[in-house]
Amino acid sequence: MKALYFIALIAAAAPAAHAQEADRYTNNTVAIEEGRGLYNGACTACHGVNGTAGEIGPGLAIPGRSYARNTDAQIFDAIKHGIPDTAMPAHQNTLDDDQIWKITAYVKGLRGTAIDAPSPGDIVHGEAVFWGKAECGSCHMVRGRGSVIGPDLTNLASSRKINSIIAALTSEQHRVYGPGGLQPHNLVPLQTYRVVQVTTLGGKTVRGVLRNEDSFSMQIMGLDQQLYLLDRAKLKTIIYEPKGLMPTDYDQRLSKVEFDDLLAFLTRLGSPPTSQEPQVRMPGGRDPD
Amino acid sequence: MGLRRVLLSALLLACAPIWAQVPDPIKADPKDWLTYSGQYHSQRHSQLRQITAANVSRLEAKWVYHMTGQKDLEATPIVANGVMYISQYNRIDAIDARTGNVIWQFQRQPIATGAQRGTGFWKNKLFVTTSDKHLLALDARNGSVLWDVAVHDDLQLAGQAPLIVKGKLIVSGNLPHGFIQSYEADTGKYLWSWSPIPADDDPQLASWGGQKPDGAPIWVSGSYDPELNLIYYGTGQPEPQWAGEGRTGDNLYSDCIVALDPDTGKLKWWYQNTPHDTHDYDSLEMPVLVDADWKGQPRKLLLQANRNGFYYILDRTNGEFLQATQFVKQVDWLKGWEGNGHPIPDPAHDPSVLGTTTCPSTSGATNWPSPTYDPALHLFFFVAQEGCGVNLRDSARNYAGTGYLESPEAGKSWQLFTRALDAFTGKKVWDYEQITSHHYGPGLMSTAGGVVFSPEEFGQFTALDSRTGKVLWHFNTGDVITDSPISYSVDGKQYVAIISSSNVFAFGLPDGGGPANGGPK
Repeated sequence: MKALYFIALIAAAAPAAHAQEADRYTNNTVAIEEGRGLYNGACTACHGVNGTAGEIGPGLAIPGRSYARNTDAQIFDAIKHGIPDTAMPAHQNTLDDDQIWKITAYVKGLRGTAIDAPSPGDIVHGEAVFWGKAECGSCHMVRGRGSVIGPDLTNLASSRKINSIIAALTSEQHRVYGPGGLQPHNLVPLQTYRVVQVTTLGGKTVRGVLRNEDSFSMQIMGLDQQLYLLDRAKLKTIIYEPKGLMPTDYDQRLSKVEFDDLLAFLTRLGSPPTSQEPQVRMPGGRDPD
Repeated sequence: MGLRRVLLSALLLACAPIWAQVPDPIKADPKDWLTYSGQYHSQRHSQLRQITAANVSRLEAKWVYHMTGQKDLEATPIVANGVMYISQYNRIDAIDARTGNVIWQFQRQPIATGAQRGTGFWKNKLFVTTSDKHLLALDARNGSVLWDVAVHDDLQLAGQAPLIVKGKLIVSGNLPHGFIQSYEADTGKYLWSWSPIPADDDPQLASWGGQKPDGAPIWVSGSYDPELNLIYYGTGQPEPQWAGEGRTGDNLYSDCIVALDPDTGKLKWWYQNTPHDTHDYDSLEMPVLVDADWKGQPRKLLLQANRNGFYYILDRTNGEFLQATQFVKQVDWLKGWEGNGHPIPDPAHDPSVLGTTTCPSTSGATNWPSPTYDPALHLFFFVAQEGCGVNLRDSARNYAGTGYLESPEAGKSWQLFTRALDAFTGKKVWDYEQITSHHYGPGLMSTAGGVVFSPEEFGQFTALDSRTGKVLWHFNTGDVITDSPISYSVDGKQYVAIISSSNVFAFGLPDGGGPANGGPK
């Protein structure tokens, strides 16, 4: 751990050659994917898969870790020129600048949540797109406005990474992977918002998103925004629909400017997380010690 | 007998009747659950019949015990003389099996939270595997340490429950490669080791194509036949796990069921379920020992539902292959079979850099959670996982690593079923779909009352009719279940217990709610 702090100090002191330069690949899913491939080829031996720490270098995306190199330019510089007096080598002879920028975009995507590095754009316009053309409010709520069918987005940017927000807008794959491995982690119904249509023995039909289920019961948030608590034994039919309600073609149905501005709005929803425990003492409780 | 001794005997009888009789796994009184699988034959079928298919709908929670500082416990509880023992590495909690009140706790530092699957009871001793390569025996009365030895060869034991036969403690582990060891249960004295890696003078060394043999971890407990004096264990996959090109050949004794002499550790026979494995189809599913007529002849059989998708019947006297039946819809890792039950793996399904779809998935058509066998109905119950996987490797070089994913293709996603097979034909009799359970799942227990207790991954504890698979009762324990249920009785009352994450639940019929020994005989 001491070595890690040492590296961080050195990194902080190192001059950043590209101090003002922003990564043009930020939020570019294709480039970030290329960055992932390049990272997997050049970086994992030391830094681990998904930035989880390898056998030599520190983790690049570890919850609770603070980083000496946060800006695009600082990360770019560390990859290109290496970090003096550490095991981090220069990559300027093996990777070109374009490739290094792609890795930078990928590493940033691994780190923190969206609010740590909000996407650039016109926030006011983005909010207008959210409630208007993109119709996000027909399912989602932000600070009390909108619908309860989909997840509340009030704190979206402080709970999700920017890559996962982009993926939600543009890809049907919502599966997440557990830390430290390829083994997929099946989302429980609370997170999947799977669409289901059921008919009761009495003939009533309910269509909505599955909040939870087990072998005996179902909890469905209907499209009418009513919660239905149902027993399987009292259902005549259950149809799981293959597609979710969430459109995943926002990069097509919105213009480039609209998409970027929407992302600028979404990546600012919430407040930066604090790592501190609440300092509230409740008299009369059991002493935590 | 002097007066003092008479008085002392009277006092002992009055105060400690519980310790007057020492439960013995050979005698297997159904009121106790002394080994990981309940009995040496690993049928996991309780002979208690107070709780039946007719009255199980009235089952109610009797108590809950929280094991502090733990989560996702995988241990099967042990019960002896009305006391339940819950284990973790470095730890055992002893609780009153009627009330859930703790009696004693043993905690060797540090507090560990790994995948540890139980302890074993032998002559009022319990055994603890530690996280620092030690093995301990405790006095079951108060948790006092009776002996503490360093594991032979400085090896770390895997977390499975020890098996104790004929006063010999059998333990096993994974690294540097699989091993089984034996110790004297009374003293901790080291007795023998067996390795699934062929010795230099073993002709099976040739089954590795010149590459150094590696792997075959052993991380599940085994079964024991006192008459044949053999213990039966499964062995795990060869290494490197995903790259098979360097280890041409069958790679013995990986992915095998092996029979060892518990007195010497010598290999009596072996059968290999998956030769030249590149999909991590460990043969560590519990071997279940059954005596039955097989095609008109009484035979000593060994039954196993294997991770590779086949249900096996072997003759356990000599390992003779009798039958293999496919028990999940999709199996494509093999091209076919040659004589004596030797499958031919299909290299087209070897892992690749881009990913190769293979059925069943590496998480297995079934896995370590325990199966059960009902000797009256001749049914074999187990958790089956339908679906396929994608196997990946990180490069084309030999010794490449990486892993597996759930197949994203339609019709190949993972789904767990509680499945009943005709134990001798291997044909499916019924299926119970565990909605929302997709991965491994907990194990099962069946009872002479005609009930299969089938916990589900996300906390439902469900009772099924053994004959039909119909749901008779269920209870939401509120957390993930990763162990297998047990049954025991105290003071004439039958209990069923399951661990859900860090909480032990015990269920029974309402007091005075029925005849003490009701149900079918």
